[in-house]
Amino acid sequence: MSQDRLYVVTNDQITPGRARAGQVMVWGSFAILVLVAAWQVLGGYEVVTDFANWRPTLYAYLFFVTCYCISLVVRYGEQGKRRLFVVPATIFVLSMVFFPLIFGLTIAFSDWNLSAVNGQQFNGFDNIRQMWHDDFYWNALTNMVWYTLAILVEYAIALGLALLLNSQIRARKFFRVAFLLPLMLSPVAVSWMVGKSMLEARFGPVARLARSLGIDNPSFFGDAETARAMIMIMDAWTFIPFMMIMLLAGLQAIPKDIQEAARVDGANPWQNFWEVTFPLMLPVSITAIMIRIIFKLKLADIIINVTSGGPGGATDSVTSFIFREYRDRSNVGYGTMLAMVYLVFIIIGFTLFMKLAARWMRPKY
Amino acid sequence: MKVDLYKRLIAAQMSRRSMLKGAASVGALAASGTTFPGMARADAHANLRAQILAIPGVGMGSPTDADWQAVGELCLGTTRERFAQGEFEGVELTFMGLNNQNLHNFLFRGFLRPWEEYTGATINWIDLAQADYNARLQQSIATGTVDFDIIEMGAPFEGDTAGRGLLDPMPDWVKEDIDMDDYVGYLKEPVGTWEGETYRVSVDGDCHNFNYRTDYFDNEGFAAAWAAEGHEGAWEVPTTWQKVQEVSMFLAGKEDPFTGLPAHGYLDPLKGWGGFGFYFLASRATAYAKHPDDPAWLFDPEDMSPRVNNAAWVRAIQDVLDIMDTQPADQINADPGTTGFQQFLAGTGSMLSWWGDIGSSARTSDSSVVGDVTGFSILPGSDDVWNHANQTWDVLDSGPNFAPNMAYIGWGIYVMARAASDDRKRTAAWSAAAHLGGRDLSLWCSAYPSGFQPYRNSHFNIDEWEAAGYDRAFIEDYLGSEADSYNHPNAAIEPRIPGIFQYYSVAEDELAKIYAGEYASAQEGADAIAAAWDAITDQIGRDSQVALYRASLGLA
Repeated sequence: MSQDRLYVVTNDQITPGRARAGQVMVWGSFAILVLVAAWQVLGGYEVVTDFANWRPTLYAYLFFVTCYCISLVVRYGEQGKRRLFVVPATIFVLSMVFFPLIFGLTIAFSDWNLSAVNGQQFNGFDNIRQMWHDDFYWNALTNMVWYTLAILVEYAIALGLALLLNSQIRARKFFRVAFLLPLMLSPVAVSWMVGKSMLEARFGPVARLARSLGIDNPSFFGDAETARAMIMIMDAWTFIPFMMIMLLAGLQAIPKDIQEAARVDGANPWQNFWEVTFPLMLPVSITAIMIRIIFKLKLADIIINVTSGGPGGATDSVTSFIFREYRDRSNVGYGTMLAMVYLVFIIIGFTLFMKLAARWMRPKY
Repeated sequence: MKVDLYKRLIAAQMSRRSMLKGAASVGALAASGTTFPGMARADAHANLRAQILAIPGVGMGSPTDADWQAVGELCLGTTRERFAQGEFEGVELTFMGLNNQNLHNFLFRGFLRPWEEYTGATINWIDLAQADYNARLQQSIATGTVDFDIIEMGAPFEGDTAGRGLLDPMPDWVKEDIDMDDYVGYLKEPVGTWEGETYRVSVDGDCHNFNYRTDYFDNEGFAAAWAAEGHEGAWEVPTTWQKVQEVSMFLAGKEDPFTGLPAHGYLDPLKGWGGFGFYFLASRATAYAKHPDDPAWLFDPEDMSPRVNNAAWVRAIQDVLDIMDTQPADQINADPGTTGFQQFLAGTGSMLSWWGDIGSSARTSDSSVVGDVTGFSILPGSDDVWNHANQTWDVLDSGPNFAPNMAYIGWGIYVMARAASDDRKRTAAWSAAAHLGGRDLSLWCSAYPSGFQPYRNSHFNIDEWEAAGYDRAFIEDYLGSEADSYNHPNAAIEPRIPGIFQYYSVAEDELAKIYAGEYASAQEGADAIAAAWDAITDQIGRDSQVALYRASLGLA
């Protein structure tokens, strides 16, 4: 207790019997949990009478958690009460992350087509092997690299717009609202209004304009590169305002005196931007780009609605491919594995990105 | 009847004459006291069919819940004869179906309200959007949580349900009540049956028919050019796919006689449509692949080997590739919805395969510009047909081989095995299903917005439609192409096996690559589809798929 820097109200006298009772409480409830779970699993294999559902195991788990929390007080007294401030929340978070992850991994390492006669079957690394030879998946991943790289262009445009809206221009408030409007639209609405209507090759207004400009048969989704670019543009149109508004907030947070001091020291507008504003904006920029990447990695709705991944997979995203694999083909095991691998790629990618970002943001001087 | 069809028919055909006819019918109906639910007594009326067709009457606006209840009440005669009032008191049933366009379950609710009042049973409803239907059903099956007693289901899902023993066999009295002999040919056995047992109460029929522009084929300029270019035969509506190809290539570079825009021949949807796009390649392939002596055309019934890469299917794929240059710009991105509604109806293209509803919409849709210049027929045939057993192309003595594609087979009502746990519940469920699939009630569904197409021989009595206020010439043309398809002796019926849409979905992905030129040849692409299909069969279980496929074909 000498290391305890907190004020202790009572000096608990935990008797050995009380400590033992606490331990019995924990291990007893844990044993019940194990027994019920084992019964549940064996019931699934028809070794014993099956429970109708997973509720018995869930109730046993809740009982164990409750006993564990109570035992903290029984075994550690005041110290245990302190732990109770944190333990329930920790258990809740673990339950919400750990168990779904376990179930997810169980599914990912199984051959489970919802139409299959044998139901879910553990198949080891077969799904990984299948993924390794799946041209559609690698094609979708390659497309995702292109889609993600497009964020750099989006960032440049968003920063330009933010700078514009941060300067003293006429009708600034109106433009701030107007530029935000695309963000308020659902990507599904964008895909129908823009992708399926305005860009329709025969009667869409953009196609008519192109025809009037001398392009005989305008086609916006006819070949791979154009289709991919159009998807990028539609997605960018929706989400550039999001980056713009974040960057604008960042710009407005920069103290004016720094820029004024730079100007007094003789910095021209470009130097003022590049040497003062831009470095000060880096933390906001990195945050905006990271959030944008997260949005981008989930890109699916526009693709599903406009091109279904075509032509020939040119616009397919990982999410739209998994959507087809999972929903249209009921291939739950393989679809889950693809999603898990995608998650691993994202975690690795983000870790590297954050490391690099931390290096970029180190002060130069 | 599909909603679009009804609305457009009504919009186009509303005239003083039809208005007066409709008003007179409704007047007569009101006078007989059958307009309001609860007042009608079906067995008191000799001319039941004419009466229900007058609710609400052609040109009197869309039917409402009161109309559905009135129709349900009038058609309750069979139930009254078989069961005493209140016989199912206390029985509770759960019905899972669709809520597309506020139809399907919405109608069923109205039709079944008088049934509930009479029998004493109550029904709980599970309404699903079309897009959620497959996932909900598959998840219920896979997780063993079938929580409904009656289901509205398409025949392609029979493999997933009947094949797993999840459905209850139809009692004989139901067969009698719904008059199954009246079904059009292709809806009779083996459709709706598994291993000798009948499970399905049909409420719909589906097939692809051939829609064409009559102004193209009446055009003298095209006829002269056709002759000048030395084509064989007269300039006329093609009846074989060989001619469809020839006509499509001939039309390239010419001008549409109606719109003045570039002329186009056959319209192929080159983009997937959630699995449903595959039906359109199938419509091209059936004439090549469905031999009159062989019930199978998609898989080999011996071992489920895919036939999608045999010479017949490869020819169909090659046909698509051969006329891709003649198609409208951006066709690579056109799904069936685009080819049907944004192209054909809007005046682009001269030939199209589609379900029955689009053909009739062409005449009556507000957005259609080809209303008076559209004709219908069964799908084109082929001069020769692939004999899979001999691996040869056969030329039939009877002439070209025709094999209309019965795409999707239509909706039906099924009772789940779950309901059979209790005799009263089971009987009540079948009574409700029989009520919905009754002969007279189905006529009303064919004639008014319901989401269902005609599917009984008795639905093709043109006089009844005309008496109800429809235009005779149009209905004859439209229904004629449907009836000829339904009753064709060599109709191509898709396999009712588990996961059939998985096969279609993966085929769409590969077809997209083939059309984008990512395979060296049609054969290579078709081989990729076959490999993917084999993988699905292995994953689902080859032995069980073979057994279920054979059962669906009615083979021992």
